[in-house]
Amino acid sequence: MMRRRPSAGLAERLLAGPVLWGGLVLLTAFALGPFIWMLLTSLKDHQELYATPLEYLPRHPTLENYVDAWTSPVTPFSRFFFNSLWVCSVTMVATTAVSVLAGYAIARFRFAGRDALLLIFLATQMFPSVLLIAPLLTQWRALGLIDTYQALIYSNFSFTVPFTVWMMVGYFSSIPRDLEESAMIDGCNHFGALCRIVLPLAAPGIAATAIFAFVVSWSELLFAISFTTETDMRTLSAGLLYMVGQYEVQWGPLSAGVIMSTVPVAVLFTFLQRHLIHGLTAGAVKG
Amino acid sequence: MTTLALGTRRARPLISARTRKLLIGYCYLMPAALCMLATVVVPIGMAIKMSLYNDILYKPQDYRFIGLGNYFRLAADPVFWLSLWNSCVWVFGSVALQFVFGFAAALLLNQAFRGRALVRTLTLLPWIIPGVVVGLIWEWLYQPNYGVINDLLIKAGWLHDRIAWLSTPDLAMAAVVFTNVWRGIPFFTIMLLAGLQAVPAELYEAAHVDGASVFGRFRHITLPLLRPIIVVATATRIIWTFNYADLIFVMTNGGPANATQITSTYTLLQAYSNLDFGYAGALSVVLLLVMLVFTAAYLRITRGVEEIA
Amino acid sequence: MDERWLLSRRKFLHTLAGSGVIAAGDLAWWEAPLLAPRKAFAAEPVRFQFSVPEPTRITLVTSLVQRFNQSQKDFEVKVEFVPQAQARQKLISAVSAGSPPDVCQIWDNWIGQFQGMGAVEDLTSRVKSWKHRDDVQDTAWQTVSAGNAIVSMPLALTLDGIFYRTDRLRELGLKEPTPDWTWDDFLRIAQAFTKASENRYGYGMRGAGTWSVLYPSEFAYANGAAVLKDGKLAINSKEAVDALSWYLDLALKHKVTPPSAATDGFVEIVETFGRGITSMYQHNSGSVGQQKKNVGAANFATVPLPVGPAKKRASFYFSETLTMFKAGRNKEGAWQFVSFMLDDEQSLMYNKTLGLLPPRKSIISKPDFADDPALRGFIASFPFAIVSPYLAYPGWGGRIDSDGVPLIQQAILGKISPQECLDRFAAVLKQEMT
Repeated sequence: MMRRRPSAGLAERLLAGPVLWGGLVLLTAFALGPFIWMLLTSLKDHQELYATPLEYLPRHPTLENYVDAWTSPVTPFSRFFFNSLWVCSVTMVATTAVSVLAGYAIARFRFAGRDALLLIFLATQMFPSVLLIAPLLTQWRALGLIDTYQALIYSNFSFTVPFTVWMMVGYFSSIPRDLEESAMIDGCNHFGALCRIVLPLAAPGIAATAIFAFVVSWSELLFAISFTTETDMRTLSAGLLYMVGQYEVQWGPLSAGVIMSTVPVAVLFTFLQRHLIHGLTAGAVKG
Repeated sequence: MTTLALGTRRARPLISARTRKLLIGYCYLMPAALCMLATVVVPIGMAIKMSLYNDILYKPQDYRFIGLGNYFRLAADPVFWLSLWNSCVWVFGSVALQFVFGFAAALLLNQAFRGRALVRTLTLLPWIIPGVVVGLIWEWLYQPNYGVINDLLIKAGWLHDRIAWLSTPDLAMAAVVFTNVWRGIPFFTIMLLAGLQAVPAELYEAAHVDGASVFGRFRHITLPLLRPIIVVATATRIIWTFNYADLIFVMTNGGPANATQITSTYTLLQAYSNLDFGYAGALSVVLLLVMLVFTAAYLRITRGVEEIA
Repeated sequence: MDERWLLSRRKFLHTLAGSGVIAAGDLAWWEAPLLAPRKAFAAEPVRFQFSVPEPTRITLVTSLVQRFNQSQKDFEVKVEFVPQAQARQKLISAVSAGSPPDVCQIWDNWIGQFQGMGAVEDLTSRVKSWKHRDDVQDTAWQTVSAGNAIVSMPLALTLDGIFYRTDRLRELGLKEPTPDWTWDDFLRIAQAFTKASENRYGYGMRGAGTWSVLYPSEFAYANGAAVLKDGKLAINSKEAVDALSWYLDLALKHKVTPPSAATDGFVEIVETFGRGITSMYQHNSGSVGQQKKNVGAANFATVPLPVGPAKKRASFYFSETLTMFKAGRNKEGAWQFVSFMLDDEQSLMYNKTLGLLPPRKSIISKPDFADDPALRGFIASFPFAIVSPYLAYPGWGGRIDSDGVPLIQQAILGKISPQECLDRFAAVLKQEMT
């Protein structure tokens, strides 16, 4: 979104030029550094991995780590991939739907116990998930949900819903009420106002929380291991740990797995981040 | 005009407008509340109950109600107090740095430049990998003898002797905090970026025309409008980080000599090494209370998420 | 009017799409993953949890399980691989929830706690009528017994020895250590190996994990100390303190250990040896396979632990076991599977592939084990090996992790004296001696 600047002062020019580019370079280098190392590692064969002193560039780059991981019958990354994709997508969609509704209610309606409710949502995140395992395991086993996608999805709600509700409350709070009020004066009811006015304005926030629900459940590990037993039902995070042996870490396949597991999220984000661009308020605010 | 209200009809005088509003509100809330009930509230109740008993799994014959016995033990446990202090260092160090750098990153990524979409995606990557794997990777990087960090620093001439980052008590906490910061910056970047994007451009232009400087615009427009999101993001992050055991568990397991033992890793240790679920329950409840008190105070001080009128 | 139609058409399409997604989701949710159709079995499946899923082990165990499933038609064994760090947690949760697997592969130092929880199936009567009972070494039975009852079956045995680089010894013109080498020989060789400026160290000391406490304990035995003497705790006796002092001096005075010793765990000591940073380390035979790949089979060998000033030494046995749970649903089937795994061919395959030692005497005397130079140090250690004294009380296992390890770490860093370290550890252990 280009902003017209009538005249640029020195501070502005500095910020738009060297500071911006310097900052971006630093930021990207910092975020990517370990990934580049992982990428290089994934292309090395066993000999080069264990060479001392450290070698950075693989002398004989090979794709065997990727092929092994993807096609291996004992650690079928293709299967893990699909499991993760499904579980996280459903979690993302369901969580976003639930939290949009709840967030709107809390942000807009004043009712008794509103603050307490907010605090309770927050408080449920204050509990170590490790101690949730045993009771949840009992529940899922009683319902016959071990080794199903459902157990993982429902368990994911325990940490995605609280924070997405909070996020949506925050985003809805920063949208001025006037817009809905003017829509309702024009004859809309609450749900209509929600759909037609507020949601488009809150699109960046919704996109952000959807991304979060997806990313956080993508990296979730503990529940995936605890509630599944079949290798075929394991998710990508659990699959990555299969490379961690008792006495050594198989860095080659592990880094290949890490690189592979970042791809879908990066793709998803590239789509969703378009919604982080906002251009619909132009002219909507009266006065 | 389509009406798709949830179950209520229009123009029925039986239910007043105010009650209807309340009902709608509760209806919207129900799905979220149900999720919470099943997956979190009930287990928390069970843990509270657990903490009141002497519950050591391999001594089932000693299982009995001891009331606050576990809590008294906790109060006298020096490792607990150390872990609480470590937790504070861990949490506030990580979140402060994540927030500052995340905000800077969001401001940078808010500008228009070519390849913005790509850069945004790239800066999200640290968030994607499971915490356990991040711990493994960084543990490898920090390795004094074959890790990349020491290697690069020595090659660049900034370091003479190899530093054992994770084995030196004074440095270990800084090292794990650094890794946590690396991992957590994307969270703030995305949250704040979304918030920044929602600020109408006209406000900036109007201020600019009125002669406000860049910093003035930041202070008087950006910060106030972003306040609800900042509060929510930092509060959530603080709570998550308090409970975040994965990184430390993998990288140092609370060591060396309890230098990085935070309360949540201590709870894990008690639960799964000592099988003392009563004590672990008490630790979790205490942590929960500490966080509740902190959050209530925090929200009061920052005036919570009151709307912008 | 138009607007309303537009809206409802869009809504209609959305609803269609939505219900399509829901229908697909429904199918995916209810159907098990697309595996081969399940056979109908007469009996319940036997659930087998295996706790070290690296690719070598996964392939091995999967093929062994398949072999078993093909050998009989009454039930199937379903193996579940759980990453090691989570395996214990998962078992504990499963046992507390009343639904443990039928059989699991765990280490002997985990059994005590499960035994205390009353979860382990007593196998004494089954073993009595087992055909290979007398073929299993006595010490192996000791690691899986609680009192007079046998509570688990030893799957693989191992004990600690010293790995060392033969090629580097040759370069330095030194002789290889004999099986009777002493502490002085050990120190001499470690010092010769150490060149800190070249990032080379003599001995990869362990600072993290349970064995960081057990390794110095083994050295303590070589000085005439013992953990329990006549049933009383003697872990902080004078001999033990002296031995620990000597051990810590390796790090503090002679500096033959790498600076990361205080937090080095299994993975680190294996990897630093594999990369040539350390030239000796202490471990069991489990890492033999990896070192053959990393360092090359011709470049390393193993030797028993050195003899101490008291002209003694000890190496702690420990075993990988197959343990059955009381609450398992198909115990007959589980026992059948366990006996299968301990039969000649399976036991040979399992132990040979992983560099472990079979518990049965007839198998360990086979050339696959007796003639391997990398296993020589371990086999030569059998005469003086003892069952780990820390198995004596179920509460000790957890205490080593929560209290013992931090104490040793402080001692390695020089923050507390060996006397203080052992005194405090003794106090903790005493609490669990009820």
